[in-house]
Amino acid sequence: MASDSFGPLTELLASTRRLALVGLAKNTGKTETLAAILAEHATAGRLVGVTSIGRDGEEHDVIDARIDKPRVHLQKGGLVASTGALLRASGVAHERLVQTGVRTPLGEVVIARLSEPGIVEVAGPSAAADVRAVSEAMAELGAEQVLIDGAIDRRAASSPAVADGLVMATGAVLGEEIEQVVAATANAVDLVRLPRAADPDPQECVALTRGLVLNADPAQIAALLGEHPRASTFLVEGALGERFLEGLLGARRERAARQLRIVVGDPTKVFLSRRGPSWYARQGISIEVLRTIELKAITVNPVAPQSHRFDSRQLRELIAVAVAEVPILDVLDASYFALAK
Amino acid sequence: MSSAPSAPSAPPAGSRREVDLARVKPYADHLGDGIVQLSFTLPVPYGLAARKAAQELAAKMGLEHPEVVHYQGLTEGYTYFVMFGECVHTVDYASLSGDGFDVEYMSEEEIETFAREHIGRPIVVVGAATGTDTHSVGIDAMLNLKGFHGHHGLEGYKAFTTYNLGSQVPNSVLVAKAIDLHADAILVSQTVTQQNLHIANLTELVEIVEAESARKQLILTCGGPRVSNELAKELGYDAGFSKGTYPHHVASFIVRELAARIAERGAVDPATAGAGDPTERGAVDPATAGAGDPPGAGNA
Repeated sequence: MASDSFGPLTELLASTRRLALVGLAKNTGKTETLAAILAEHATAGRLVGVTSIGRDGEEHDVIDARIDKPRVHLQKGGLVASTGALLRASGVAHERLVQTGVRTPLGEVVIARLSEPGIVEVAGPSAAADVRAVSEAMAELGAEQVLIDGAIDRRAASSPAVADGLVMATGAVLGEEIEQVVAATANAVDLVRLPRAADPDPQECVALTRGLVLNADPAQIAALLGEHPRASTFLVEGALGERFLEGLLGARRERAARQLRIVVGDPTKVFLSRRGPSWYARQGISIEVLRTIELKAITVNPVAPQSHRFDSRQLRELIAVAVAEVPILDVLDASYFALAK
Repeated sequence: MSSAPSAPSAPPAGSRREVDLARVKPYADHLGDGIVQLSFTLPVPYGLAARKAAQELAAKMGLEHPEVVHYQGLTEGYTYFVMFGECVHTVDYASLSGDGFDVEYMSEEEIETFAREHIGRPIVVVGAATGTDTHSVGIDAMLNLKGFHGHHGLEGYKAFTTYNLGSQVPNSVLVAKAIDLHADAILVSQTVTQQNLHIANLTELVEIVEAESARKQLILTCGGPRVSNELAKELGYDAGFSKGTYPHHVASFIVRELAARIAERGAVDPATAGAGDPTERGAVDPATAGAGDPPGAGNA
């Protein structure tokens, strides 16, 4: 989408109560995006809540200590989910409102309200069900929007069961060639925007057991197709992985190739790393979901730390060609400062 | 690791100064002297300039009065140093230990007693080295009867029923097994860390568990040379175990966490309170659980 047809992030996200931020890899600028959204809210005087399924605002990266991380600035009155120890270590005055009872390896998560503006380390619950509960609690405590920051490339918190919308962060770290970055981003977007399944015809629809899908034993998959020669739709309740899809392709080749449709709960339950959904569609297997994710925006980081960089504008334009109908922004680029003013 | 560090050359009784746990500093000769020892190698030839360089570097690290106590040439163009210096910073140990940060490790007997009293049925643990990782040494040390270093693995405990799936196990297969067995905990080992392969593997596992809506039913723990609690938090695990971990450390964490979860579930729904869910697993007499298992049953 051309960069003059939309406003700054907070405008794009105005209707989103619980927003998930997901990075396609580490160092795709997810926390910079979070910081930009927080800064805009602060300017507008809106009180928001922040939680993280990993850790945010830590001084150094836990996986690569050479990388300095952006810090998370919160305004006075802002809500944050973090552990007691990390809040205390921040040195920022705060009031503990809720002991959540959620235990993490860094201590119990509490919800606090800042009594003064400052820099805090955010470390909320990791399990999707707990993230949902903490987000609800922060909304009830008055947060106009709850920002749920992801960790590494984890997607579970972007499930429609947890969040109402998603901002995806991508960046140069995904490949040394700009085309690789664009292709990987397009695949990830295809996955997030898997189409909603039209009501499946119960006659042609077979619900699969968890063990069959997870174990992905080729013989069992072949037997399944044999047992249901007329079925065209398979329902998968849990995780759908590449091994099962490959098993399905193999088994299908042995019997006359037929069009198959696999229906899963939502896009976070689909695990594809080698090939995107469009590749499977070309092989005659379409993947659809019962609940869709609202992709609100894509942010790009044109810099790969300790490695290479691309031109921000070129990267955004190439992604815009590959991925339709979603605003693409670089929150650290001059073009974005112009929007945010 | 398990035994408390004994105080070096304890002073005569009565003369010991009280430690201020909110402002802890390194200890060498006397309390609060802040002295640390460090060793490193610089890629410079042995000589006085090398010695000076090491001193300057230590000063840049923030150490006061840095002193080279030993240095030697390692090979052409490389010099090895041992240094002392004074650390001026303190840490607030009191608040860290007060925040549920600390897991108190229990001995094997204590774990058995705790499990009998608070859980009352065998605790099912499924472990594997997942993905392309071929190293089963870590998972074997934690789970198998033999254990290591004179501490036997979880298989040897009455409190646990263990399933060690071995190495190179796909994440989805490990999750399928855990769901199938109604496991209480998954223990996943990652030894290979090239190109952060362990991160990708550990992330995929937790995402599959979430996709199966099983995250709240499973205690997820990971272990490996580059795993820590900080990394575990980042990845969404309940605990991370690194070098120096013995099976009773892992067991202490699992029994405490499971007991806490059972207590929480009991608080929410009094009907299912008590010793887990006997109908689901088949009621097991805690007194004989585990001990009477046929050989092999615990280590499929």
